[in-house]
Amino acid sequence: MSVNNKIAWVHLTSKIRQLIVAVLSVTFGISMYIFMNSFTGGVNDAQAELVFNTMAHIRVYNDLPKEAQRLLPVPEGRDTVQFVSNPKRIRYTEGIKNAGPIRELLESIPDVVAVTEQLNENVFFHNGVSKVSGSLSGIDVESENQMFNTAQYMTEGDLYELERRNDGVVLGTGLADKISAQMGDVISLSTADGILKAYKVVGLIETGASSVDKSRAIISIQAARQLLSKNRSYATDVLANLRNYNDARSQAQRIAVSIPYKTEAWQEGNSQLESANTLRDILAVTVSLTILIVAGFGIYNIMNMTVNEKMREIAILKAMGFDGKDIVQIFLVQSVVIGFMGGVVGLFLGFLISVGVDHIPFKIASLNTLPIAYNPIDYVMALAFGLLTTFVAGYLPARKASQIDPVEILRG
Amino acid sequence: MRPALSVNNIVKYFHEPETIQVLKEISFAVQPGEFLALVGKSGSGKSTLLYLLSTMDTDYEGTIDINGTRLTGLKQNELARFRNEHIGFVFQFHYLLPEFSVLDNVMLPALKLGKLSPEQIRTKALELLYKLDIKGHENKKASRISGGQQQRVAIARALINDPAIIMGDEPTGNLDSKNTKVVFDIFRQLARESGQTIVAVTHDDEFAANCDRVIEMVDGKILAG
Repeated sequence: MSVNNKIAWVHLTSKIRQLIVAVLSVTFGISMYIFMNSFTGGVNDAQAELVFNTMAHIRVYNDLPKEAQRLLPVPEGRDTVQFVSNPKRIRYTEGIKNAGPIRELLESIPDVVAVTEQLNENVFFHNGVSKVSGSLSGIDVESENQMFNTAQYMTEGDLYELERRNDGVVLGTGLADKISAQMGDVISLSTADGILKAYKVVGLIETGASSVDKSRAIISIQAARQLLSKNRSYATDVLANLRNYNDARSQAQRIAVSIPYKTEAWQEGNSQLESANTLRDILAVTVSLTILIVAGFGIYNIMNMTVNEKMREIAILKAMGFDGKDIVQIFLVQSVVIGFMGGVVGLFLGFLISVGVDHIPFKIASLNTLPIAYNPIDYVMALAFGLLTTFVAGYLPARKASQIDPVEILRG
Repeated sequence: MRPALSVNNIVKYFHEPETIQVLKEISFAVQPGEFLALVGKSGSGKSTLLYLLSTMDTDYEGTIDINGTRLTGLKQNELARFRNEHIGFVFQFHYLLPEFSVLDNVMLPALKLGKLSPEQIRTKALELLYKLDIKGHENKKASRISGGQQQRVAIARALINDPAIIMGDEPTGNLDSKNTKVVFDIFRQLARESGQTIVAVTHDDEFAANCDRVIEMVDGKILAG
């Protein structure tokens, strides 16, 4: 151990109570940082989970062109003015005629964990005299279930029944209520083109998003193609899920280049969700950083007191031949040790608080306990910020100590 | 013989509260092994001169050389290293580090210098403490021994790096007559036997009278010596 560290160590250990208070202030700051960020992370994830029950991270569909097609070439020269009255944006093709290659393309991207196709259409549901409009989703049962865990939300019946029979339909619980249909009932659907077909209710589903449950019915994608007289590879949406939903925007941009359809990340249609997530993150970081800075002031105060108390010792150390750098080192080492000890204890305490909160019952929507996310990055950042704060808080008094003029003190 | 300490045309001003000249063109030289006392009334500039010699105060005109090294104009860090190796200090108050043991206090300057291994330093520090008659207190906290013992520990600390020159600022100012004699004898012996130069500011006439040489200062000038 170098002589500077030895002096720092003696200073630290000669006032145990002061040391403990300083360490605890860092511990508290860091554990709060971890808890706040784990909690917001958990809330964000829970929110995302609710949303991603029915929504994919990336959606490919046939959108209206961005601008109306040019009917006439742009005139050359300045002496011609062109008027085209009432140009319209027209979608010349409907849906995605050949979804297979797009699906294969999405599946070939390493970050994509699930891909599925859907055929969505607005229809009318008839049961006896009740007639309700809603949306019909034709799904590829296997990949849909892999993506959304659809089968998990079935309240009655079996989702896979759709694969087995072409005339099966699964109704959202709210929709079933509206047309007072029950398991086993036969209802009929009518399309915009006026086609009417009967289906048997083989299951009921409740995703938790009531607007969806009140309007959506599910049949197999083959049955949907049949109903709407589309070709074998037709779909309106190709959906993909990524490993991390926050990457959706950048991935969508990258994919968009090689796909002739609109490629949309979830954020685009759900800015309220994204902004809520971001605001929660900002709030958590602000509050926890404030706590850390307060802890920093605590350390600054303690180190300042130590320096003031030890003026004479600092003077004599300088007389003996310790230079300014040595003095800075002696006092900086003390605050860094405090920061490190407080930091490590704070990491454990933060983890324990998070685990404790994770067990507090909270039964709303799909939650059972308060949500907590365990992200290693939160712990790394907490320690980094903690060390940074203590470093700064320790450096200022240390520099002051190094600037003490020994003559003034020793002459008395 | 090369002088242990030579001072040339030292001029020093204090600027607070108003500018006054405290040292007026001081020049003298001290030979190795000489035991020198700086005396004078308070305000005569003797302490100011000592702190210039100590290299801790660098705000002066003129030059100071110790052991042939020109100290005037060196940087703070270079001066710190020089003090560590070549100058030992004994003050009116012991200024021991109260949280350290007696032994650690003595070892610190040598640990800082780093020329010997910690084991060798320990042995040397113990020898010094025994020589200064502090036996059995090595592991006590520095704040737990008597005033006379503390001053002797401070002397041991000043000697640990075998400095060429030992500077004392009223080294016996705070001691009773018995301890004063002990400290004086130690200095006497160091100058005579180890050839170490001693420069001490003192108010004690008896102390001064027994030194090899006395420089008396009046109003920032050397009166006799």
